[in-house]
Amino acid sequence: MADIVLKDVSKAYGVVQVLDNVSMHIRSGEFIVFLGPSGCGKSTLLRMIAGLEAVNSGEIHIGDRRVDTLPPNRRGVAMVFQNYALYPHMTVRQNMSFGLENIGTDKAEIARRVDEAARMLEIGPMLDRRPAQLSGGQRQRVAIGRAIVREPDAFLLDEPLSNLDAGLRVRTRVELAQLHQRIGTTMIFVTHDQTEAMTLASRIVVMNNRKVEQIGTPMEIYSRPASRFVAAFVGSPAMNFIPVSAIRNTDSGLQVEAGGATITAAFASPAGNVEGLTLGIRPEALRVASDGALKGRIALLERLGDRTLVHVTLADGTLVIGEDVGKSTLEPGTEVALAIDGAGTHLFDAEGVAYHAD
Amino acid sequence: MSTEILSRSQAATVDRARRDRPLDFIGIALTAITLLVALASFFPIYWAIITSIKTDSEVISGGNSLWPNRFSFDSYVHIWTNTNIGIWYVNSFVTSLAITILVIVSSAGCAYALSQLDFPGRRVIYVLILACFMVPMQALIVNHFVLMAQFKLLNTWAGIILPQLIVPVTIIVYKQFFDSVPKEFREAAQMDSAGHFKILFRIYLPMNWGVTAALAIITFIGAWNAFLWPFLAATGEATMTVPVGITQVKDAYGIVYGKLMASAVVAGLPVAIIYLIFQRRVTQAIMLSAGVKG
Repeated sequence: MADIVLKDVSKAYGVVQVLDNVSMHIRSGEFIVFLGPSGCGKSTLLRMIAGLEAVNSGEIHIGDRRVDTLPPNRRGVAMVFQNYALYPHMTVRQNMSFGLENIGTDKAEIARRVDEAARMLEIGPMLDRRPAQLSGGQRQRVAIGRAIVREPDAFLLDEPLSNLDAGLRVRTRVELAQLHQRIGTTMIFVTHDQTEAMTLASRIVVMNNRKVEQIGTPMEIYSRPASRFVAAFVGSPAMNFIPVSAIRNTDSGLQVEAGGATITAAFASPAGNVEGLTLGIRPEALRVASDGALKGRIALLERLGDRTLVHVTLADGTLVIGEDVGKSTLEPGTEVALAIDGAGTHLFDAEGVAYHAD
Repeated sequence: MSTEILSRSQAATVDRARRDRPLDFIGIALTAITLLVALASFFPIYWAIITSIKTDSEVISGGNSLWPNRFSFDSYVHIWTNTNIGIWYVNSFVTSLAITILVIVSSAGCAYALSQLDFPGRRVIYVLILACFMVPMQALIVNHFVLMAQFKLLNTWAGIILPQLIVPVTIIVYKQFFDSVPKEFREAAQMDSAGHFKILFRIYLPMNWGVTAALAIITFIGAWNAFLWPFLAATGEATMTVPVGITQVKDAYGIVYGKLMASAVVAGLPVAIIYLIFQRRVTQAIMLSAGVKG
């Protein structure tokens, strides 16, 4: 196991820049998730760590070795591909042995490692089957098994759950988390699914538009998003954004007027210019209350059982989502008031930089 | 019981539907035409076989009987005992097999490089290979002959084989298939410490085993049937292939139809057997060569 360090890594295809000066330090044993929308460069970054894409500038270190000039097989990493890339004409055992045979590993040692990985992943009875004879979940385990037998310094997983159906995806996610706890090897996991990121990651790297937006633990990312992009991308339903009409410094904190309501919270004060300023409120910080400051008309109700999501159109036309109890008696088209939990609010300036209420 | 009743009623419905269906005159006409064309195509083969098992006197006595008065295998015994057909067979087999193996291996390697590797001039090379289609073998035959003569390879197996290794269609068909293999397989193999040769021979070729079999069969048949180049390159009987050798039957014995037909049947027999065994693969190969994926 080893730390992985990226220093000012950039990548361009011709004139198209896909990664721009990305730096990070992944500690040994961490479960890191690269999260971001399609085309943000997260898979490219993973492939650059794997050695499948060349680095235009910058350095990649694994442990005490600089690896960005080494071929993939000499970097000490193993990769699980989105479509698993299991060789269809080989049995599961042959798929798992192939890499070890290529580096001249002793046959007895290959058999030991394959059997051990098969036992760990519960694929022992399938060792003589071909990939076509396996279900999606089984193939996924074989792909992980193929990576495990190489005993790498880090596992690189490129959206490995995206080909599974919803139920299997949840089960496999749990198994992956348990596997990481058992073997303790560094894992880098690429996904655009925030639920996978939040549930699996030790730390999440949120990426957007060629750059890293924020690196932090799942709760840091959720509670203290570094930018409006992160705030909007992480969380379901997404954070509400209400244009700010005025701000005022008071003794008890910054007083913010937005959507016809006034809230006071201990925001770190933005430059003072109200132009382009937005108030961000998570739906759970916006609860239905008769004395609520934010007033509007109910556009839609989503009854989720344990809670009800209330879509409300404010007087200025802004649509926000708040929450009510599961057995809500509200009806669409009626007036409603929403109380704001000041501690769960954030301010974003015109550049999208966040200021948190704490 | 209910299943039986149901199946009987279903059968009755199908029978009724058949009876009620109007006669498909166009279909019947097309079937009849196809049958006639098939018979016309098969007739020369039938005629060759029948002539080869007639006696010489019956063949030259005239009368176009479709069935021999007496079966005679004298023509076969004659060409087996009085010609070098055994040697021609060996020559044909060795050269055809060598051409098949070398064409498949070199085409697969070339196609893999063009499909999977990024190197300067890749497109130019591919365009040049495509351009090879525009130059028929016959146009190069003098060059080949001079070249083989300079290398002193005339009347050798190598001399017969080398010019027949230029088969651009095989490269193009392989490239099409390799292009369609997701690149993750190559990348997974690279992560598994496999070099490009290992990736080609352990991953890509086995994954495209069907197309390899089809191309190998059609290449073998083409090489076995090749006449013009082997005819020029092999002037001595010791290196002649079967199609070239059977011309000697005519030269040595004049127009003896029975023996000529017997040698033609013997020459075509391996190809016919291969075709009968691998009929589906041959059809697939012909479709692939025409640019249609089967």
